[in-house]
Amino acid sequence: MQNALGLMGDQAIMIAITFALGIGGIAALFLALFWPKRWRMKYRMEVGFVLLLVAVAIYADWRSTETFQAYDAGLRAEGVSGTIVDPAARASFDRTITVLAFQWGFVFTTEDGKISRNAVRVEPGEKVLFQILSNDVIHGFNIPVAGITTEFDPGKDREIWIKAPREPGKYLIQCVNYCGVGHAQMKAWLVVGDIEAA
Amino acid sequence: MASDLDTQRMGATPHWKPHNVIGEMSLRDLLFSNDYKCIALKGILTSFVMLALGGAFALAFRTELAVPDIQFLGARPYMTLMTLHGMLMVFGFVIPIVISICYYMMPKVLGTGRLLWAGAAQASYWTLILAAVLLIISRPDFTWTLYPPMSLRVGGDLVWMGYVAVVLVAISEFLAGAVLLRNAWASKGRWMKMPMMGWGMMAEGGLLLLSTPLLGLTGLVLLTDWMGVTALFDPSRGGDVMTFMYMFWFYGHPAVYLPLVPAIAIIYTLMPRLLGRPMWSYMSGVIAFVLLFILSFVVFPHHFQPATTVFGVVQRVTQGLTLMIFIPSTLHVFNWIATLWSDRIPSSAMRSTPFQFMIGAIFFLIIGGVTGFLNAQISVDTDFIHNTYWVPAHFHAMFLGFCAQMAIAGVYYLYPYFTGRMYNQRLADTHFWLWQIGIFTKVMLMYALGYAYFPRWVVDYLPLAEWTGSQFALTGAAYLIGIGFLVFVTNMVWSATRGRIAEDDPWPVSDDATPSAAAVPAE
Repeated sequence: MQNALGLMGDQAIMIAITFALGIGGIAALFLALFWPKRWRMKYRMEVGFVLLLVAVAIYADWRSTETFQAYDAGLRAEGVSGTIVDPAARASFDRTITVLAFQWGFVFTTEDGKISRNAVRVEPGEKVLFQILSNDVIHGFNIPVAGITTEFDPGKDREIWIKAPREPGKYLIQCVNYCGVGHAQMKAWLVVGDIEAA
Repeated sequence: MASDLDTQRMGATPHWKPHNVIGEMSLRDLLFSNDYKCIALKGILTSFVMLALGGAFALAFRTELAVPDIQFLGARPYMTLMTLHGMLMVFGFVIPIVISICYYMMPKVLGTGRLLWAGAAQASYWTLILAAVLLIISRPDFTWTLYPPMSLRVGGDLVWMGYVAVVLVAISEFLAGAVLLRNAWASKGRWMKMPMMGWGMMAEGGLLLLSTPLLGLTGLVLLTDWMGVTALFDPSRGGDVMTFMYMFWFYGHPAVYLPLVPAIAIIYTLMPRLLGRPMWSYMSGVIAFVLLFILSFVVFPHHFQPATTVFGVVQRVTQGLTLMIFIPSTLHVFNWIATLWSDRIPSSAMRSTPFQFMIGAIFFLIIGGVTGFLNAQISVDTDFIHNTYWVPAHFHAMFLGFCAQMAIAGVYYLYPYFTGRMYNQRLADTHFWLWQIGIFTKVMLMYALGYAYFPRWVVDYLPLAEWTGSQFALTGAAYLIGIGFLVFVTNMVWSATRGRIAEDDPWPVSDDATPSAAAVPAE
């Protein structure tokens, strides 16, 4: 799986920490119930435990921020973040695609003016910039294979970028914010490479 | 030995004598009396009606979701059922039931003898009933989060009733907050002697009083925006969606603590009572309540953190504070586990249904709480968490697994006090296991689906291998929970007339639980 945020290293650690905390907490609960040995805990144990969790939280805050800022910097350094897009900056991306989200679908417009509805073609491994806007209600834009989600208000542009999968195929794009009765049908396809040839 | 002060503020003594309160109560008393037992029982019974309705709606759309494609529910009725499920469960069941249980407990536990400002509690109840009726008639399909401008453009001609219902919910909860705070405030001047429930009610009252005015205002602006009088939330007419976001979530995040705080207060009341010994630490619990109250008001932007206005410093501070909110929860859980571990668990407690449900509730608080550690992180949130099934997994663990189970524990505990009889143990055991298995399966499958990017609020979905099996099993888990609820209702009704007559103390602590020297609080 290609992950736009490059999360997999940190994300795996955070999930492991979550599992450890959960299993540790449940184990403590069951030991307190069923282990014959009774134990009068000292107050300093609670203080120590909380301090340990604070340290874990600070670590999570630091890693999460570093990861997200690194991703965000990929946009900002190229001058594309915000409503004014520097045309020259687009050169750093292999492809720039404008996305209009509406009730209930997506329209994709490529740099050469080609318009497609609910499907967009990119090449394997390309660095793709999506400039997304809505003209009706709040929508979401999620590409599971790239591990990226954004939400955008009507009239306010958002930019996200992904690295397209190396494997040719059809990959799901979906709205993840409830936007009316057609929400469940608001899906599109990221078509990577030549599927038929693959 | 535990001191008198410990016994008083972390009390292990019975507060009532079993009596057939409900059997001797006339319908008029039940509906209109300002006696605390009438108000509380009315609230509890009504909450179960709301649970039955919300649960039936959930089973209907869960059945639809069992397999891909649309079977029998169209998109609009599906979303109406989904919206009503969310609103009835949150506003009609889980918040009112824990508050009603606290109404029942406070006069005796806090020593006021009666419910102060009972008239306000009465008004709160009837306002909520009116809100529920309007809400159901309006058949809203905009989810409980009401995001405009979508919420302004869906629904039929009666949707305005839904906005009025939101205002009424705010008024009802504001009044309830005033009642809780007033009763806790009665301990003024001797706060450090106040039972833990008092601290919980201070926190809950404060949360309700400070957060609900903005909910009411939000409902009012939605109504005037819908009527075309204003356009505060509608970008197409010069408004801004983010105005709504900040107003709604200022209530919306504290709202998730509204059922949590009373549920925690019920644990602090039941645990020492069933174990026959004080809590491990009084101060730890007090600090946790105060921290929970403060932090719950400053982390709300995490609900919309992928939005354009939440970036830079705001995003960083929100993330940091959200990560820190586990501290008060951890203090509570640590306190409970330390109390359990400090001496032998009486066999009387282990056998009792309130204790079993309380342990189940703590189990799910741990499961739901630890995943909050992931939810808080912006980088993970923008990957698989935001608006996928991961989010309902988290709040079902907290609302259903913890809050609702603590409400059930509270009802089983109070049952002999208001019916004079004991419930049927076999039915109670059946209910317990159906719920533990059902809730655990449901929550875990929702987490798995969230991790696989299954989006929220969809009536139909693609037949992907990682989605279909889990959705089918999730529907099965929902039915287990529904059957468990039917067993519970049967037990409550049957036992009220045929159950064993309760003894003077329905929750005696068995002899082998005499506190040893190790049970003495360390403070």
